[in-house]
Amino acid sequence: MTDADATAADAAATDVAADQSKDDVVLRVEDLQKSFGALTATDHATFEVERGTITGLIGPNGAGKSTLFNLVSGFYEPDGGRVEVNGTEVTGMEPYEIADHGLIRTFQTPRKLEGMTVREAMLVGPRKQPGESFLNLFFRPGDVGEHEAANLADAERILEEFEIDHLATQPATKISGGQMKLVELARAMLAEPELLLLDEPAAGVNPTLRNKLAEQIRRLNEQGTTFLLIEHDMDFVMKLADPVIVLDQGSVLMEGTPQEVQTDERVIDAYLGGSP
Amino acid sequence: MRVLSDPKGYWADLTRSEQGVVAFIVAFAGLLLVGLLTGALAPTYFLYLVGLAGMYALLSFGLNSQWGFTGLINFSVAAFFGIGAYGTALMSASSSPIAGDLLPIVGLVVALVVAALLALAIGIPTLRLRADYLAIASLGLAEVVRLVVLNERQFTNGSAGVRGIPPFFEGFPVLADLPQMMPGLAIRPLPGTTIVLETPFWGALLNVVVVLGFVGVSYAVLRRAHRSPWGRVLRTIRSDEDLARALGKNTYGFKMQSFVLGSLIMALAGVFYAHLNLFVSPGDLDPVTTFYVWVAVILGGSGSNRGALFGGFVIVGIREGTRFLNEFAWIPIDVAPLRLLLIGVLIVVLMRYRPQGVLPPQRELIWPKVVDEAPDRPDSGVREAKVGGGDD
Ligand SMILES: Nc1ncnc2c1ncn2[C@@H]1O[C@H](COP(=O)(O)OP(=O)(O)O)[C@@H](O)[C@H]1O
Ligand SMILES: [Mg+2]
Repeated sequence: MTDADATAADAAATDVAADQSKDDVVLRVEDLQKSFGALTATDHATFEVERGTITGLIGPNGAGKSTLFNLVSGFYEPDGGRVEVNGTEVTGMEPYEIADHGLIRTFQTPRKLEGMTVREAMLVGPRKQPGESFLNLFFRPGDVGEHEAANLADAERILEEFEIDHLATQPATKISGGQMKLVELARAMLAEPELLLLDEPAAGVNPTLRNKLAEQIRRLNEQGTTFLLIEHDMDFVMKLADPVIVLDQGSVLMEGTPQEVQTDERVIDAYLGGSP
Repeated sequence: MRVLSDPKGYWADLTRSEQGVVAFIVAFAGLLLVGLLTGALAPTYFLYLVGLAGMYALLSFGLNSQWGFTGLINFSVAAFFGIGAYGTALMSASSSPIAGDLLPIVGLVVALVVAALLALAIGIPTLRLRADYLAIASLGLAEVVRLVVLNERQFTNGSAGVRGIPPFFEGFPVLADLPQMMPGLAIRPLPGTTIVLETPFWGALLNVVVVLGFVGVSYAVLRRAHRSPWGRVLRTIRSDEDLARALGKNTYGFKMQSFVLGSLIMALAGVFYAHLNLFVSPGDLDPVTTFYVWVAVILGGSGSNRGALFGGFVIVGIREGTRFLNEFAWIPIDVAPLRLLLIGVLIVVLMRYRPQGVLPPQRELIWPKVVDEAPDRPDSGVREAKVGGGDD
């Protein structure tokens, strides 16, 4: 690295820290609002996620993080505001349409697929499979078979990369909670998202698997997937994410590098003063 | 067929549930054979029973592809069955008040189209909502269809029913007249018993051919669908619809396809019934049919096509078997009215000891030939699963 490069990198770093203007935005949330009866869960939230980052979303319990995910991914209808994915407005669209724009999400509680093996459950991941059309099953069976074989190979490769290939033919309901989280992440990757929203991926996962999970997220990020992740475990988030967005009572409190966030008075207050 | 070339290997590859069912079927078939040979069971009646069993198998297939695959709760099995039966009857019967005397094949097409439209009409408002809405709406639909058939006399003949329905092969070359052309046969399988096979027998045999054709085609279609990515999305919806949505599946569209497909198969059962019985009346839309079919699917093992087939046969066995029990003078009570009670007890026992049904899906459902070599059997399977291959 030359001196000039180093200075440039430094300058860029200070730049980002100084003002939050981002040039390649994959997700833009503007003034999003949602209330459940009298309870305001999302209160004029505005933020952006830059392509290629692992962006953290933290906040005390009940701050409205999961609600925000549900709004962004189309599971809830916002009361106001707009959501843009890859430059297209997706406000009010169905989740499957938003997925078509490259946004995939996981859930806070792992979802079990009754009666499937792990690799069967993985095969639900790929989008736009020819075998998902009923007519193709009878008129283009060769095509269906080819894609199924390719998808199965992909699934087994990803399971191997995640070092859980020994689980492939185990029942999907009989693996540990931590393994389930890994399978969920692996399956979501088969959908080839540009932006992957993870809701507390490390919750209930033992420390060994947790490290593995962090390692995988970092690796997938280097291969080009953008992540927006909610996490309760500060350690996990601070090691992995940059920038970090702090949500409190439904609105964005601040955004910054892990260091900035950890030392910010307002954040400490929110965590101490917020819900237990 | 592996059964014939390598029976031992075939047997060893079956799961315990499959072995149990195979043993049961062999024993039951043996019993029927004895009945036939000794003349206790008239061949024509036997064929009628096979037709009835095939009809129930179709109904169970239909419900299984809604409830078993996708988790859709449909309480209007009898209505779709009735649409099938009345659809073809009103087209082809000589006493039909609206069309009449058309070819049964036209009736078949009309019945299926009407059933599909009705399925769409009920699916469009309910399938976007939570699962219970379809259940309630279908409950209402069953009653509406029954009342319409009963009261709209100018279209349906009302409670008088529709008579003069031709056999299914009416208008076909050769097949239409085959029963009349076949010679009467008298066979003596055992000393002292004579079985006479005449026109009714050949007619019944043709009906069995029809129903076996319907059942065979439906089974082939459903088996392929079940093992495909399409079926996998349905199974995901059944377990967790939100997961399917998050992975980019248009779950509303998939649920609609599953609902229409199941309804078509139920209507097919109705079409067959009309040409088996040659008479349909509003009584055929009795909601008890829906109850029987639900029992068949749950008993067979929700989600399994073979289970639905088995369940359908068992239900006919119970329905007709209880009738048969009355032949024994020493039983002091009339057994037939206790049928529903017996089925209720059966369900309670089943739920207590085998809630997943007799023959739930036994193997991984991946497109055939994609998993070439079966890896080691997992010790604890997906409900005793076997990996890669075979049926269901
Ligand atoms: N579907 C819902 N109906 C009513 N209230 C809800 C719903 N979803 C979330 N909430 C409420 O919104 C607030 C924010 O919840 P949530 O987004 O789950 O918080 P977080 O994920 O940050 O812990 C909570 O008070 C929660 O009870
Ligand atoms: Mg949450």
